[in-house]
Amino acid sequence: MGAETAEIADLIARCALRDRAAFRDLYRRTSAKLFGVTLRILRDRSEAEEALQEVYVKIWQRADRYVPGGYSPISWLVAVARNHSLDVLRARKPQSEDIDMALDVADAGPDPEKAAADRGERSRIDNCLGQLDGDKADAVRGAYLDGYSYEELSERHKVPLNTMRTWLRRSLIKLRECLTA
Amino acid sequence: MSDETNISGHDEDGLLVAEYVLGVLPDAERTSLRARLRNEPLLRSDLNFWRSRLASLDVEFAETTAPAHIWSRIEQRLFTGQAKSGWWNSLALWRSAAAGAFAVAAIAIAINVTTPRVDPKAFAAELVAALSAEGSNVSFVALYSSTGELRLTPLSGEQPTDKDYELWAIEDGAAPKSMGVIAANARNDVKIAPDILIDFGEGTTLAVTLEQKGGSPTGGPQGPVVAAGKATLI
Repeated sequence: MGAETAEIADLIARCALRDRAAFRDLYRRTSAKLFGVTLRILRDRSEAEEALQEVYVKIWQRADRYVPGGYSPISWLVAVARNHSLDVLRARKPQSEDIDMALDVADAGPDPEKAAADRGERSRIDNCLGQLDGDKADAVRGAYLDGYSYEELSERHKVPLNTMRTWLRRSLIKLRECLTA
Repeated sequence: MSDETNISGHDEDGLLVAEYVLGVLPDAERTSLRARLRNEPLLRSDLNFWRSRLASLDVEFAETTAPAHIWSRIEQRLFTGQAKSGWWNSLALWRSAAAGAFAVAAIAIAINVTTPRVDPKAFAAELVAALSAEGSNVSFVALYSSTGELRLTPLSGEQPTDKDYELWAIEDGAAPKSMGVIAANARNDVKIAPDILIDFGEGTTLAVTLEQKGGSPTGGPQGPVVAAGKATLI
């Protein structure tokens, strides 16, 4: 664990002990990142500001739930910010209840040239995403980084909703294989 | 949801978790998976797997300085009405208060039943709170009736000569509200003021502090807490 990471973990632990100075410090050091998250997902400045407030209220209230070792403390904070932003986003535009899936859709399979080109200096996740078809990797990134729902993804990629879910699930299976390889 | 695939059992769950972490699960599935995550360690290890792997993408969230007013609003939301790090914010205190609560609640009910009633009509208690604190020999039991009255009976402790005990009602995250000075050597029947009664109920914390004669002059507790406990339904 890097020094920075250890310090953030320590600040979260102190928040769990109701240390307000630690909370202020945590905010000072991490709010720009988390504001980046709420802004990107909500795409509306005032909603993103509102969400950022809620996120830190949750962090203060749930600091005791952070378990060091699972993943990095900053990832935990980002996860809190992403989850809250997604909740706001989904509440803004209710989506359909159920998506039928048919996993027998033809699968083009990975593009070996692209996969080869994408190896090298990039991180493991980038490498594994690189082994997916370009638009499938884009769908994964769009969901994670932009909070796109299956509806939005299917519109953007111009495929039916259930095909979209099938696609993404196939991609996730490949991604998991690659990441655990 | 029809699922014509060989993905089943744990693999299917693992995929659901991946979709959950990505944030694409439809509302109903998202809610139900969230509930399962609380109870199923295997799912949580999938959660850790996906969160930690996908977190590599976090670098793409561009850092953006938040406007200054956000922090003051957060502070306001969380800490208004509370003096600098008051004892009512102390985790250890509430934990010890909660631990003793059940035992004293049992005594409380016994007292409620056995104490000879002066009133012609019975005191119909609805809520009970056991007030005690680690390191203090003062304890009370509080019974609340729907008529808006609180009956506070001392179980142990001496009445100090040069100081007074003061009773406070505390709602989650709010500042304590005084319910007046109370005696440690006699039963106290406290009429609950309307501004306290409005929020009073299950989960309200009752606390007793040691204050100067006549009670705290500031409207907020000054002295140490000698007993505290949460109101629970009988």
